[in-house]
Amino acid sequence: MLSRRDFLKLVVEGAILGNFYQLITPPLAQAVAAGEVNKLPVVMIETGTCTGDTISLNNIWTPTFSDILTDILDWRYDWTMLQAQGDVAIRVLEETYEKMPHEYILIVQGSMIQRDGGHYNHVGFKNGKLITGLEMVRHMGLKAKYVVAIGSCATYGGPAAGYPNPSQSTGVQNILPERRVINVSGCPAHPDWIMGTLLHLALYGEPELEKFGRPKLFYKETVHNRCPRRRFYDQGIFATEIGQKECLYRVGCKGPVTYADCPIRRWNDRFNWPIGCNTPCIGCTEPGYPDLMSPFTAHSPDIPFPGGTKVTTDSIGLGVLGLTSVAIIGHAVTSLYKGRIHKNLLKTSLKGKHQPTVKKVKTFHQYRLKKI
Amino acid sequence: MSMKQAVKLRRPVLKQLTQASLQNEIVLSHSIWVRIFHWGFTVSLTGIILTGLILHQPPNFLVLNFGKVFIVHLASSWFAMGFVALRITDAILRRDNSLIPKIEDLKHFPKLLGYYFFLRPSPPPNRKYNSGQVLMYFSWFLLFLVASLLGLASYWQGKHLLWVWHMVGGFQVLRWIKFAVTIYFLATIPLHIYLSLTEDISRLQAMVTGYERKPPP
Repeated sequence: MLSRRDFLKLVVEGAILGNFYQLITPPLAQAVAAGEVNKLPVVMIETGTCTGDTISLNNIWTPTFSDILTDILDWRYDWTMLQAQGDVAIRVLEETYEKMPHEYILIVQGSMIQRDGGHYNHVGFKNGKLITGLEMVRHMGLKAKYVVAIGSCATYGGPAAGYPNPSQSTGVQNILPERRVINVSGCPAHPDWIMGTLLHLALYGEPELEKFGRPKLFYKETVHNRCPRRRFYDQGIFATEIGQKECLYRVGCKGPVTYADCPIRRWNDRFNWPIGCNTPCIGCTEPGYPDLMSPFTAHSPDIPFPGGTKVTTDSIGLGVLGLTSVAIIGHAVTSLYKGRIHKNLLKTSLKGKHQPTVKKVKTFHQYRLKKI
Repeated sequence: MSMKQAVKLRRPVLKQLTQASLQNEIVLSHSIWVRIFHWGFTVSLTGIILTGLILHQPPNFLVLNFGKVFIVHLASSWFAMGFVALRITDAILRRDNSLIPKIEDLKHFPKLLGYYFFLRPSPPPNRKYNSGQVLMYFSWFLLFLVASLLGLASYWQGKHLLWVWHMVGGFQVLRWIKFAVTIYFLATIPLHIYLSLTEDISRLQAMVTGYERKPPP
């Protein structure tokens, strides 16, 4: 079987050549045939989600999604893939929980909705009672071998947790503090990121994680560092409008603050990616997305004020500087009028024994007769 | 050791000062290390702020090589941190606590504000620096340390200072805090320059020569 080092090389090589699955398939097929791959059972629970990550995951070209699922992983429960429904489906979930504790991978897709005990998000019906996403994820998560959160919503709350967050949504890690959650962020997460993480878990165990719990093999560097338009940035050549071919930094590109390997991996079977079609990166893999990344056409996020008003960061900065300027000019004018500046300067600069004092004297106006 | 030290002036200078029948006393106000820190920090902080603003929002009227702007930003930051380290070491060695706020500074602050708002004819008595200066310099010191920590965290890109990333919550928040700190510096530095020029010009001179004229006690 492939060593872990070779696997990591293939992850990068596959991203550059765009054939990650083609590269990984032959050694995997050998390993599967030799019985070296221990098929990990997988259950996926969807909470507050648009199912975008499932759609993204299904967007695998070669080999087919079904090949990977049947050969590498034992995909047991997933709403989108399930053929069963109702009690039969829930029974599969319960069976996995009871018969395979600490063996299965729990994948969570969607934010954890906490408002009113999580009752705005029901994911099952058992013993005449609706089960909330919160209950289900905690229940399954505590006995899972690995907990993987996929997509922005499951990792850090995502759009569902956007201001003012009426559903009190949050990421999986916050409701499962006992477990280390592997975050595969993105809106949606790239199919390679999801499947690559699952493959790593199946073959080599937990991958090395970066500062926000994301696998380093996909989220090690910023988009900016690997961007093909980096040379424009370094030379100070910027697009002034979206749609232009230069660096999109000035029109709000979040590449410098976003950790992902999109520039080399690209999307839709390596066909294109946002910057490739001249739109800025919106920073969808980062914590705080989308609030901290919006407006997508400006660098800094708008600051919400009570009442729902949002003010741009630059406006706040300019406002503060404007106020300071007005205050200094106002003080200087008043000091001149009152004679304070003269007094201070004379007091601290003259050096004779008899220091002159300054006193404001009354001004007499002279009037002349106007010649008619 | 007191801040006021016996002055060792060159004989011709002393002669000239005597001829001018100088009334005030000449005291050493700022040691050489304080002056090196002040002007070094001034230059490096100006570099940090200007390049930081350019990196934040590339101006339309200026086409610069951003690779070099970034290098200037980084180099200025390292220099500024070096100067601050120098000042801290100097303060520790001389046991100089003139920049650390005390309760009496807070008590005097409303009176000082009264003076600045023309409600009092003169400022309240103070230590080496008045209460406004102490509070502002101390806030600069703290904010510079915060900004340095954030700067180092982003410089190391998550290799070190992981706790800073966890505390802050992401690159975008880090960037925003640095911007807010910049605005604070930009709002208070002009105030510092304005008051230095209009309140006590002798103190400004002391930041160059080290010596200040003060009325005899």
